[in-house]
Amino acid sequence: MSSERPSPTACAYTDYVSGEGHEEFPKTGEDATGIERRVWDALSAVEDPEMPISVVDLGLIYGVRIGEIDGKTNAVVTMTLTYTGCPARSMLKGDIREAAATAEGIDSAEVSLVWSPEWTLEMVSEAGKEDLREFGLSI
Amino acid sequence: MTPTDELLFRLADDEYVIAERYTEWQIYAPTIESDLALANIAQDEFGHARLWYDLLEERGYEEKNLLWERAPEDFRHSTLCELAFEEGDWADPVVRSYLYDTAERLRLEALVDSSEPAIASRVGKVLSEEGYHREHAQSWLERLSEGESRERVQAALDRLFPHALSLFEPGENEREIVSEGLRTESLFDLREEWFEITIPYLESLGLSVPEPEEVERPEVRGRDGSHTADWFDLHESFTSTYHELGFDQPTRLRGEGA
Repeated sequence: MSSERPSPTACAYTDYVSGEGHEEFPKTGEDATGIERRVWDALSAVEDPEMPISVVDLGLIYGVRIGEIDGKTNAVVTMTLTYTGCPARSMLKGDIREAAATAEGIDSAEVSLVWSPEWTLEMVSEAGKEDLREFGLSI
Repeated sequence: MTPTDELLFRLADDEYVIAERYTEWQIYAPTIESDLALANIAQDEFGHARLWYDLLEERGYEEKNLLWERAPEDFRHSTLCELAFEEGDWADPVVRSYLYDTAERLRLEALVDSSEPAIASRVGKVLSEEGYHREHAQSWLERLSEGESRERVQAALDRLFPHALSLFEPGENEREIVSEGLRTESLFDLREEWFEITIPYLESLGLSVPEPEEVERPEVRGRDGSHTADWFDLHESFTSTYHELGFDQPTRLRGEGA
């Protein structure tokens, strides 16, 4: 039997890195009350298009801010994406904006996309990790 | 053009154009894994282009003027990104990606502490998605540099190296970009670092690297809007459907404002 190292194969990349966590994340809106609470609840109903997990548990939502514009109540949702080249970008932003706008007491909603802090697997909430495990992902 | 806009156009155009070229390999790369890998790298670069073009939109540019209706001579990418591939010459995308992605990492690292917060806040995510591009290129380079395919790698290196130097060609605002801290290193220093990484590595593979000072540079440099004929063909090809359809605005399957 040969003890030589196997020659490189066509598929050499198998490493999967989970990345570092961030102290204040994931944001799940757990302390939110009133209108802000209802926006978080509405966002929790939006699922990732590829996996059965809510965008809140996936850790995509970085914040919800309620303000007033011309006497109307406006929600600004700050969010990120798992990947810069995410093909579902428009769809997710649209779904999240619409969900926020349907929360009771909200007249209009906007979405602001940010890239910092970087999303990593550590941004997934404990409940989200359970959902992903049930779906068959090793996390 | 402001120094910030110049910096952003260089970043966005490089990424967009090299991704546009990579997609030509889809279904033609030598193995199914390399096909998927290069398609995935292209998708990453499109994502990064998008992220920088987004920032230009926030600064007042419109999507249609950033891509679909921008004149080809207004693009500021390096000529390395635009060159057409010769049919079946897999060594070219491998060498090109190695030269480009090594330069890109250096450039992004010099933006981590950018004085423009909107740039600094995006760099980390982009950098984290880049490491595998270099791994992919190096893994292929090392295999192709053994045996008879080394000649193809050498030919690609000889052809691409002079164009790769235009990655570091200063634009008109280079002095301000550095003095205002938008980028924390000059293009000259970045080029020196790129030489220190790429030359010994390529030589260790048995390749001969052209002497930078003796390279005959192409007249066109990309960064000033001068480009090879390959670019004008590519520009025509990626904008033709847009013009054929005659929309007033770039259309989307499902608009973000919907």
